Amino acid sequence: MIQLYNVSKSYQKENTALKDLSVQIGKGEFVYVTGASGAGKTTLLRLLYSAERPTRGQILIDGQNISRISRFKIPYLRRKIGVVFQDYKLLNSRTVYENVAFALEAQGKKRYEVSKKVYQALKSVGLEHRLQRTPLELSGGEQQRIAIARALVVDPLILLADEPSGNLDQDVALEIMELFRQANARGTTVLLATHDHSLYHRFPRRVLTLEQGCLVKDHQPETL
Amino acid sequence: MLDKSSYFIRRALRNMRQWPFLCTASVLTMAVALASVATFFLVVMNVQLMATKWSEDLQVVAYLEQQPGNAQLAQLLADIEKFPEVTTVKFVSNKEAMQRFRSRLGGESDLLDGVREDILPASLELSLLPEYRNRTGVEQVVRRLEAHVDSGDIHYGQDWLERFETFVAVLKIVSQALGGFLLLAALFIVSNTIRLTLYARRDELEIMALVGATLRFIKVPFLLEGALQGLLGGVLALVILSAVFNLFLSPVIQSFWLTPAGIELVFLDFNQQLLLVSAGVLLGIFGSLSSLRKLVQI
Repeated sequence: MIQLYNVSKSYQKENTALKDLSVQIGKGEFVYVTGASGAGKTTLLRLLYSAERPTRGQILIDGQNISRISRFKIPYLRRKIGVVFQDYKLLNSRTVYENVAFALEAQGKKRYEVSKKVYQALKSVGLEHRLQRTPLELSGGEQQRIAIARALVVDPLILLADEPSGNLDQDVALEIMELFRQANARGTTVLLATHDHSLYHRFPRRVLTLEQGCLVKDHQPETL
Repeated sequence: MLDKSSYFIRRALRNMRQWPFLCTASVLTMAVALASVATFFLVVMNVQLMATKWSEDLQVVAYLEQQPGNAQLAQLLADIEKFPEVTTVKFVSNKEAMQRFRSRLGGESDLLDGVREDILPASLELSLLPEYRNRTGVEQVVRRLEAHVDSGDIHYGQDWLERFETFVAVLKIVSQALGGFLLLAALFIVSNTIRLTLYARRDELEIMALVGATLRFIKVPFLLEGALQGLLGGVLALVILSAVFNLFLSPVIQSFWLTPAGIELVFLDFNQQLLLVSAGVLLGIFGSLSSLRKLVQI
């Protein structure tokens, strides 16, 4: 599903965020990307949803080479990918319903289809009773669940999450992890960037460890 | 297609409802900018109208050495009427000239008692077609007159005509320069206001791009919003201008300065009003377009 071949990303001559990274992630896999701050986790995710282009190397998503993808094709690539951020990136002036519907409307879905899918997505994260609230009326955990519903409502092939539990306490973080596990169980490939060790100890999955932009460890737990 | 269009319109209206302060700021800025440009245009238009009115009074007067006989006069008038520049020609006899002088002196006309009735020269007063009411046109007529008339003096208010032409030339340059400057200033202010309102909503633009919206999908509602705000701004500018003109400017200026001169101020005609509102719509669209180019990055 995701293939990276000798991928490097530099912002300036002396500042290389990723160095010669090669990795393959299969369809339906759940992979943690871990490492200290500045290790290159966010850069890797940004490369995958084409917010950045690699300086060198090739990236294939679902068989499509996105290394030099034209800007007109990027929206269609992003429709295959759901992204969840640490700071949720919700529209605070819009209702919960509108925030989730936004992703479907952007894809030109019909109104009746939008309302049906939004309700289902919000139900799957347990927030179907908060449709008309605005994000600021909800807790951090609830806001992150809306962000996850927005990412999942389009049935993405890949779900990318950048420190999704970074602003949440442990109990809420576990609830959020459960949502990612459920999405993965339905067949979505999940790539989750975190530096929270407790998450992958509690939910052991393949772990890619980055250090100063280099992949230093690709660990597959024996229990799997 | 229809579904998408109605979605874009709904979203543009919803955005305006959700951001009332930003929307009001854009509409008011556009209204003020357009009203300023339109006020300037209105002033220039009325000054030009006044200048045209003044130029209607321009006459070429040929003072005759000797009062001609009836047959000679009829021939002379017929010849002059054939001049392509001339609309009317009027003969003023010595007596008529004296009567005019008397009436101008009013209460002091008795000063002329004892003065001979034929002391003032007879004259021919020529009115010209509008396109010849300039120095070149007048000089053309004077040359023709000199060939036909035994005239002691041909008078056409040379100084006045020179001053008038300088005034019209300066008016043209100033109005073009100032009008261009005002228009650029309006464009600059409006596009910056729109940029600020869009900047305040950059999260929305970023999230739209993240969830797979195409450039067209992101931009169209904002352009529609800009057009709607421009439309409202244009209509508001027209209402403000019309109110100020009809309730304040026109009555005050008319009563103090213009009534004695027989000049009436005019407001923008229907086409000009339509142009003002259309300019608002275009201003909204181009203001949004230039800001979106910089803010929307996929």
